[in-house]
Amino acid sequence: MVREKETTLYLGPQHPGITGNMMVKLKVQGDTVVSASTHVGYLHRAFEKLIERRNWIQAFTLLCRFCVPEPDPMELTYARAVEDLDNREVPERAKYIRVIVMELARMQSFMLWYAGQAGSAGLYMIPQWSVGDRNYILDLFEDLTGGRIYHMYIWPGGVRRDIPEGWADKTLRTMDYIEKRLDEYNKVLFDNTIFQKRAQGVGIVPKDKAIEWGVVGPVLRGTGIKSDVRIDEPYEVYDKIDFDIPTQEGGDIWARALVRKEEIRQSIRIIRQAITHMPGGAYYNKVSNPMKWTVPAGQAWARTESVRGEIGFHVTSDGGNKPYRVHVKGAAYTHGVTVLEKILPGQNIADVSFILNSLGVCPPEIER
Amino acid sequence: MTDLVKENKLLDAVSQAFKIKGKVIRNRRVEVYADKNMVSSILLFAKKQLGYIHMAHMTCVDWIDQGEFELVYTIYSPIEKITLFVKTRIDRENPEMENIDSIWDQANTYEREMREMFGIEFPGLVGEHDFILEDWDQIPPMRKEFDTHKYSAETFFSRPGREDAKEVRDELSKRSGTIVPDFAKKYSRE
Repeated sequence: MVREKETTLYLGPQHPGITGNMMVKLKVQGDTVVSASTHVGYLHRAFEKLIERRNWIQAFTLLCRFCVPEPDPMELTYARAVEDLDNREVPERAKYIRVIVMELARMQSFMLWYAGQAGSAGLYMIPQWSVGDRNYILDLFEDLTGGRIYHMYIWPGGVRRDIPEGWADKTLRTMDYIEKRLDEYNKVLFDNTIFQKRAQGVGIVPKDKAIEWGVVGPVLRGTGIKSDVRIDEPYEVYDKIDFDIPTQEGGDIWARALVRKEEIRQSIRIIRQAITHMPGGAYYNKVSNPMKWTVPAGQAWARTESVRGEIGFHVTSDGGNKPYRVHVKGAAYTHGVTVLEKILPGQNIADVSFILNSLGVCPPEIER
Repeated sequence: MTDLVKENKLLDAVSQAFKIKGKVIRNRRVEVYADKNMVSSILLFAKKQLGYIHMAHMTCVDWIDQGEFELVYTIYSPIEKITLFVKTRIDRENPEMENIDSIWDQANTYEREMREMFGIEFPGLVGEHDFILEDWDQIPPMRKEFDTHKYSAETFFSRPGREDAKEVRDELSKRSGTIVPDFAKKYSRE
């Protein structure tokens, strides 16, 4: 038997298979990963520090940029934490609009996941499809908020604008279109033998360790544990909407993919219900003068379910017109560091990008 | 309105076991205040005895006027669906805190970040000192006394003649025939 030499391989920060600006330092023997360590710092923009110099509303321009693929949960979580400190009521209509925005955000992020997951398996047609289809959702965001990626639409007390005329119908038509497209995605991705063989039994997160390791979201549900902030600690109007939390056994990439495959359908289901049941009335419990608005002293912790799992904001106020401290925790903070470092040893080098995509690692969430 | 039975039960269990104070903030939210030496015991007790197995978050708040750092450990029970905050305060001078990455592995990441951003030492913490920053020789940047304005003024510079983007504005004015105001000055936070 030939004893293979151990070498060091740097995956990223400039690498098509990495999920953003980060680097995974791999120790490899032949094609097998012996150990892995995550290195970040290529994208540190000191947002948490800069927010301390901006007022409560100005913070939105920074915090939506914590994670490019899915900025809206950041806005909502921060807004909910501030509402908690300020005891600010949110009108019922705004709650429904927020739910629609959150689910649209999940869907466009799922489309990016389709692209990343399939692309990292070498199936290059799916990224072309899904990024194209994602644009239909971004069109809805543009009509609603004026922005395609960053919206700054959810504010403490509600949302900034009411939905424009005809937007609800357009959204329903887009949902019909995407639902039809999902069947085609199934044919090219989930029925594809290459994808099945690459995904099954790879990148396993053990069920008995998952919660302890800080695993959340679809990755946790892929181990068979039914956990979702929208059900466990319902916010906005999720408790009034009928939807399922899909789970799968196995904890591998395949299980996580099946969970996501079903979740995007649940998002469509939620959006349809929210549009049907949305009441009229006010959409914004207005903040008197955003530039001079002060929030009572205290600390608040708010969490929401993003496409990658739980997002939490710990917000501290000293009673002034600026946040005293804002600390965000995204799913990637655990998935991209400790979880990744634990599950990579023993895997093939070619599967590293594949695993990274399935964990939903978003590096700006780690370094912010 | 719920009567917060589960929350009060949790508060009683922790406060009686460790003789510490705390309060029920609202439904699903309980906090306790502990001495820094007791934190790891409380966390271990909550994890092993009470089922608070998910470490959701760990943060540090710099209370510069009081000369203290406040550390907040946020843990969650998937069974009870309650979040428990364990809060402690440590001295800002030579700050040192117990390392809890033997209880939750992912605490290692938070602690490495706090070591770098606040200068808090966690004895026994394994991991490279440079986590997010590289070759940083200033005071830890998340401390309140670190002045981002001063740092950027000293470290970075504008291209000569472009400090106020005047030539860009002049060119735009020439093309459009309207005067373009100095927006940076007009909307400055200073």
